[in-house]
Amino acid sequence: MADGVAVNERAAAAAGPSAATDAARTRLVRRLLSNRNVVIGGSVFLLLVLVALLADALSPYNPTRLYPGQRLRPPSLQNLLGTDEFGRDIASLVLHGSRVSLLVGGVTMILTSVGGVVIGLIAGYYRRLDVVVMRVMDGLMAFPAILLAIALMAARGPGVWNVIISLSVVYLPRTAMLIRSTALSVRELDYVLAAQALGRGGLAIAFRHILPNCLGPLLVRGTFIFAYAVLAEAILGFLGVGVPPYVPSWGNVIASGKNVIREAFWVSAFPGVALTLAGLSLNLLGDGLRDTLDPRLRME
Amino acid sequence: MTTYLLRRLLALLPVMLVVVTIVFFLIHLIPGDPVAVILGPEANAEQIEAARRELGLDRPLPEQLVRFYTRLLRGDLGRSYFLDRPVTTALWERAEPTLVLMASALFVAVLIGVPSGIVAGAYPGSGWDRVLMTLALLGVCIPGFWLSLNFIYLFSVRLGWLPVAGYASVFSDPVAAFRYMLLPAVSLGFSQSALIARIARSCMIEVLRQDYIRTARAKGLAERSVIYLHAFRNALVPVVTVIGITMAILIGGAVVTEIVFNIPGLGRLIISAILRRDYPVVQGVVLLTAAAYMLINLVVDMVYAFIDPRIRYV
Amino acid sequence: MRHRKTLWAVIALTVVGLCLTGPAAAQKKGGVLKVGNLGEPPTLDAHWTTATITEVLTNHIYEGLYAVDAKAQPIPMLAEGMPAVSKDGLSYTFKLRQGIKFHNGKEMTSADVVASLNRWGAQSTYGKTLYARVAEVRAVDKYTVQMQLKEKTATVLISLAIPNNFAAIYPKEVVDKFKPAEKATESIGTGPFKLVEWKPDRHIKMVRFDDYQPRKEPATGYGGRKVVHVDELLWLPVPDAATRVAQIETGELDFADDLDLNAYGRLKKTTGVQPIVAKPYYWLVAVFNKKEGLMTNPKLRQAWQAALDMEPIMKNVAGGHAELYRLDSSLAFAENAPWHTKIQGLPWNEHNRDKARRLLREAGYKGEPIRFMTTQEYKWMYDFALLSKQQLEDAGFTIDLQVVDWATLVKRRNNSKEYDAFTTGMGNFYDPTHHIYLGPNWPGWTNDEQLNRLLSDLAGETDYKKRFGLWEQVTRTFYDRVPVARYGDLFGLRAMRTHVKGFDTTLMRPRFHNVWLEK
Repeated sequence: MADGVAVNERAAAAAGPSAATDAARTRLVRRLLSNRNVVIGGSVFLLLVLVALLADALSPYNPTRLYPGQRLRPPSLQNLLGTDEFGRDIASLVLHGSRVSLLVGGVTMILTSVGGVVIGLIAGYYRRLDVVVMRVMDGLMAFPAILLAIALMAARGPGVWNVIISLSVVYLPRTAMLIRSTALSVRELDYVLAAQALGRGGLAIAFRHILPNCLGPLLVRGTFIFAYAVLAEAILGFLGVGVPPYVPSWGNVIASGKNVIREAFWVSAFPGVALTLAGLSLNLLGDGLRDTLDPRLRME
Repeated sequence: MTTYLLRRLLALLPVMLVVVTIVFFLIHLIPGDPVAVILGPEANAEQIEAARRELGLDRPLPEQLVRFYTRLLRGDLGRSYFLDRPVTTALWERAEPTLVLMASALFVAVLIGVPSGIVAGAYPGSGWDRVLMTLALLGVCIPGFWLSLNFIYLFSVRLGWLPVAGYASVFSDPVAAFRYMLLPAVSLGFSQSALIARIARSCMIEVLRQDYIRTARAKGLAERSVIYLHAFRNALVPVVTVIGITMAILIGGAVVTEIVFNIPGLGRLIISAILRRDYPVVQGVVLLTAAAYMLINLVVDMVYAFIDPRIRYV
Repeated sequence: MRHRKTLWAVIALTVVGLCLTGPAAAQKKGGVLKVGNLGEPPTLDAHWTTATITEVLTNHIYEGLYAVDAKAQPIPMLAEGMPAVSKDGLSYTFKLRQGIKFHNGKEMTSADVVASLNRWGAQSTYGKTLYARVAEVRAVDKYTVQMQLKEKTATVLISLAIPNNFAAIYPKEVVDKFKPAEKATESIGTGPFKLVEWKPDRHIKMVRFDDYQPRKEPATGYGGRKVVHVDELLWLPVPDAATRVAQIETGELDFADDLDLNAYGRLKKTTGVQPIVAKPYYWLVAVFNKKEGLMTNPKLRQAWQAALDMEPIMKNVAGGHAELYRLDSSLAFAENAPWHTKIQGLPWNEHNRDKARRLLREAGYKGEPIRFMTTQEYKWMYDFALLSKQQLEDAGFTIDLQVVDWATLVKRRNNSKEYDAFTTGMGNFYDPTHHIYLGPNWPGWTNDEQLNRLLSDLAGETDYKKRFGLWEQVTRTFYDRVPVARYGDLFGLRAMRTHVKGFDTTLMRPRFHNVWLEK
């Protein structure tokens, strides 16, 4: 997989395990907070999380309640962002849509990271399994992400968890490769060989030596995966192969607005803005984290 | 160099096997019956059974899988249930629009991305840099399909300058082809241009830090020729590899764009094939895309190996 | 003498003048008519499928022995006239028109007709229903065909006339080449258009068949005199409804069908475009699984029917336009005059929540989720399902709405374990015995003793008045037993560029003969 990261990461890993002293940690935190991207991206993201948590309280209407007599009303005092073709309040739909997006993004990020770590460590550490695992990973990475997601969704049927699983399967290989290459480079180092000679088990080595080197890139990667997953969920919803259409989700609302874009452009407009904002915050956050945690990754 | 190439090509074979198997099982896991769709809503159970037997769908899965492999080795991708023609023909008929779309989008992406990145990188921190990089950030974050909808609303509906959707072949009517392809290419290309711009920028900055640039400046060369003669060309090389990656990403983006703009290409084909449960066509498109994807990545890796000899010996 | 010369001159000039101005709507020959289609047809073999898109396309290329006129009655098409029927009603003798050419130049004879009818009888839904009563179909001589029945039935002519999944006449060579269960991939018919090429996902191209022999009677319904004025008929697949609308507005298409109902208001105001309301289109229906599951309980079905308030549902599905829907309890459309019933006092559209709640209580319903399947591929199906769900839940039901794609829905609805109700639309049935949802062979599996008896009486009865009486009884029984929940009538939206002339807007499905382009 063409990844200029590989060369740089090997160099980064060779620098040795990160010193886990308090002073180093405070320095890290201060560096993070002084990075403008982290601050801006992070705060907008936290705002989104807050909105998602408080969606019920903030929404003027129940987003799933249909009011057939009030279809396609433009933004007004009654409906701040207008209504859709069933009279549902767009503002409530957008607020609740953040829940699906954040849920999908977050869980996908966690599953991908955890799964990637497990598979990457296994592959990096156990030579014999490596070959098989890598072939399967390569196979999965041979598909453009969205195509594989569409096919998986068609196989599994609609539903939030199916979306999460499909996206996790799609994004997992890349994370696994990242962990694997770190594992491969670290295991030859002196202190690891020394630990092995001392009788330390593979798992202990993995956690004490390999994992800490990966955390930075893993977090950066994870942030971007969050962003891709949010976007992918919207695309799947737009194409009609995401969460069920009556579940409030940004992709679903944009899709329903597509048919009435002439009469009611507001239906597609506002969820799109929300999507863009979410993507912006996560990308800024990811950029900032990358600059702080591993500037050598900038070539990516 | 050639040994590296051969090694990489050989490594592709087991991957292709995995890909083919994944595709087969994936497709057959999808619920829904192609036969029922073809026969129409008023068909009854016996008509459906008869048609299933005709299509060989009643055999156990492992048997179907073996049949699939053997046919594949002969270059036979099977026959479309719906379109009554070999899958290879179906793919061939629809390849042109997708290729034209991807080429145009790539052209737009490079046209916007490379100059923006170079300029931003040449004058980092300047007003230009900030503006261009903000635009690039927006390009990455604005969903492509949403951008397409907005473009359609603005340029086709409100202003009426361009057609809403459709496709005309550049071989039969170049002017119409251009008008139909403009919005799709720009909306697809814009998102990719952002990525190219950012990479070009960091490459440019990296190159400008190099010693030989300092030498050129010390020699008294004008700043402009420093940028354009020395920095530019060296920064361009890794950018070329990013363009390769972009091409791979475009394959996925083309699917959505084709749906929004009703372009009769491979993307629209696969969506309708999935909806109709036209298994052979879905398999064919996915295999083709996977093969293309791997090929592009291979070419990109080759270019990388060419620039950085260290990689060859890993 | 001078005056006579002047008189003749005046007469001559007047005649010439009249000829030059001509009738206001002089048909112009030529041009390409571009029609936007929903998508790709599964096949162009008319015997093979009931899909509407195949129906529309094949009716331009092929013809049957009879066709349906504006009053929903069968009139002769390839047959010379009405058949001679024996006294016992068991033998029908059809005389064929002579000199009818197929697109390949061959003349149509009884051999072609017999072969085609037998193939249709083996494969088509309507063919099989008719052929259940047929003993034999044979050629008497070159231009005469005889059909021998096992039992009397009133449905022979109408079955041969209906346009959907119809008894299209193919050349015998084509019938011999393709078994009934196979899709015929050669499209040679006797119709006014002939197929030139089919490029899937690009276009279907038809041209005028110059050797077509039109009937002398004026055009009525799907039959009568058909003259083709345009040179070429180009069918373009445009799967997205909103795109079809847009392309009609810009003129990229001359005609588009199945348009997004939301566009009606806008199309009325667009210059150069004439919107057409297609009546009838479908009546919306929720089909219940009566083989197993919750909806086998008639009280639950009656509760569903009682709870529905049709007006807001239909209005919303129709995009808010009153012209695009109609509330009617008749099982046959108003446009199907012979079978339209006007019975009052039926328990339909009662929107009586209390009655619904009472029925649910009597049924012993404890709030178990009812699996209601629908699809977004037909937008109106999804719309009325979603609106129903809310109304039903307000009345005490618990609805599990399952949105799947059409292929999955069509597959699952054949399996009684997978659903309790699903959405679909009923098109026009020309004969009471064709209403598939009333019988046990169609998903939902209606197997009601009384309905079965009434329908078999209908099949055997030949007197129209008696049949209508039976049909009214069927309707009353229907609303008591509720095998399916009938909603209102939805109309379709079509649009045409104003330079397209001669199109018959009263037809249920479009036909492009007798149409010309005024450019």
